[in-house]
Amino acid sequence: MNNERRVSLALTSTPMILIYVMVVFCVIAAIRQPAFLSPATLINLCRAGIFTMCFAICEMVVIISGGIDVSFPAIGCVAMYVPMYMYNNGMGVDSVFFFFGVAILIGLAFGILNGVLVAILKLPPLIATLATSSVASGGLIMLLGTREFTTLPPSLDWLYSINLLTYTDPATGFKYPLTILFLVPVILCIVVALVLRYTMLGRGLYAIGGDKNAARVAGFNVKKLQFTAYIFCSVMASATAMMYTTLMHSSTTTALMGEEMIIIAACVVGGCRLTGGHGSVGGTILGVLLITLVQNNLNMLGVPTSWQIFAVGLVLLLGAVLSSIQAKRIEKLGKI
Amino acid sequence: MNNKEKAVGRRMPDTHIMTILGLMVLVIIMMLIFQPGNYFTLMNLRSMIYQFPEYGILSLGMMACMIAGGIDLSLVGIMNFTGVLAALIVKNMVTEEGGMAAPAIILAVIVALAVGGLCGAFNGFIIGYFNIPAMLVTLCGLQLYKGLAYGITGGPAINGMCDPFKEIANGSIAGIPYALFIFIVVVLIVSFVMKSTVFGNEIYFLGSNAQAAKYSGINTLKVTVMTHMFSGILGGCSGILITSHLNSAKSSNGETYTLLSLLIVVLGGVHPDGGKGRVMGVVLATILLQMIANALGLMHIDDNTKTFINGCMLVAALLLDVYLDKRAAKRA
Repeated sequence: MNNERRVSLALTSTPMILIYVMVVFCVIAAIRQPAFLSPATLINLCRAGIFTMCFAICEMVVIISGGIDVSFPAIGCVAMYVPMYMYNNGMGVDSVFFFFGVAILIGLAFGILNGVLVAILKLPPLIATLATSSVASGGLIMLLGTREFTTLPPSLDWLYSINLLTYTDPATGFKYPLTILFLVPVILCIVVALVLRYTMLGRGLYAIGGDKNAARVAGFNVKKLQFTAYIFCSVMASATAMMYTTLMHSSTTTALMGEEMIIIAACVVGGCRLTGGHGSVGGTILGVLLITLVQNNLNMLGVPTSWQIFAVGLVLLLGAVLSSIQAKRIEKLGKI
Repeated sequence: MNNKEKAVGRRMPDTHIMTILGLMVLVIIMMLIFQPGNYFTLMNLRSMIYQFPEYGILSLGMMACMIAGGIDLSLVGIMNFTGVLAALIVKNMVTEEGGMAAPAIILAVIVALAVGGLCGAFNGFIIGYFNIPAMLVTLCGLQLYKGLAYGITGGPAINGMCDPFKEIANGSIAGIPYALFIFIVVVLIVSFVMKSTVFGNEIYFLGSNAQAAKYSGINTLKVTVMTHMFSGILGGCSGILITSHLNSAKSSNGETYTLLSLLIVVLGGVHPDGGKGRVMGVVLATILLQMIANALGLMHIDDNTKTFINGCMLVAALLLDVYLDKRAAKRA
């Protein structure tokens, strides 16, 4: 009896439902477009998911700690634009370390700013990071103007040209390379998962997300943990933005703007709760997979391009409703 | 004790309003020094009045939701969606010679307000019924309504509405723009609702303590739905204004208004956690921001710098809030 119940609970848990949805999506897409079933789709999915995955992990850490960060696209834009600007104006050396180093320093500065606003001044995270976002993006364009850098310096071009593997479509001869940077989200996921699960830092993030006062009484340094979360988010987002420049061959002041919505939604669909204290790397990976799949393959389902924004919104809303229903169910079952 | 509490409660918004008035005086003095010729002209005053009703009305919607303890990030989406619908109606009903203009405009306004209300009610229902944070639902709502507008227009803007429709936001009577009258009427309605109706009081209750409001017999689901519906209707109203003002409707008009309306609301003394805030403060903050935007415009400062300044001001306004809260707590 008890066993049956556990099985039925496991079969209807949020990750399982996400998997069902993805399977259904893939089957429909495969029926409509047999070309969907090829390794090329998988490689495209991996490529498209790199940034979403990294950003989602950043955002997840902040959400778990009970906050929210909508400033990372703006910070990312600053971090991808400033090093390229410096390089193109004769400041700075042509080295991968220089580009990523400057990006990470910028991320660190904005992370500290967010941390001060949220942890020390105790401003509401959404509004505080919204303000950071407009300060970052407005200030960037005000000081450095809008240009678009589309040629990579040799060192980044070298990084771009390293591939893990290359799949050649036998029918058309097109090559589908998978870049080495794909390893970044993979390693990031593993490290974050381990830290969240097995270290005091990770448990502390969950604790302050669940109940700040209780965590403080239990001996966690709430301010330090919040700082860690926001700084981690900004730093990783900046590094990811530099990866974006490397892979997309483009660095503009607005390239990432508007991304926050999709990322937050990916986290929530994957089981993070905006009230804090809940969420896991595994769930977030599934959420990102679903969103990337939907975003990149809606046309295979026959959704016209102009309706895709709406369709993505619908998927996000359904995801949010679904995870809330799940949370209610688990609460009811909890007190046996 | 009771008296003291009342005094503190009353002083709080007043300090805010005093701050805003002080900032206004500061802007006026600055402009007296830098641009005495351009700023203090009737032309400039009128150009200011043409601009602020759009986002002033949006901010009132944001205010209602924030006082109820939530937030409405979908307002710009609702604004553009209703704007597109109104533009379609006007464009398709009015004949080449300009016949059928009056019924078409009336229908467009009714549809915009009704659809705005529906969108808002939908947000409110999801928030209240499923207990999902307002922020997430309205973010999804923004995507949904923007997507609807984008899907209907297919991308390009709808242009070339008939002249009477343009007159709504661009026309004036005896030198005073209609838009100002519309704004005043909306402000009066909103302040009546917030101050003198049971519904308004329930919004304040819900915002100050949702749990207590529930146990004292307030139907929180109903109040949430109605608050967001109210905000959606205001979004629709603003949709008509912006479509008429720009004479074009598309899915991405006025995207900076979300930040702007948040800034106005927080600057106007609405507490981000809900429960506190006055219509007067929000209206004054709207006017203050328009004065600043206009002053920056006259000094040829571009939009991105404005975004930067707005962001800084938002932080400053929040810090002011924290400071006032602390002072009030000390006195109590």
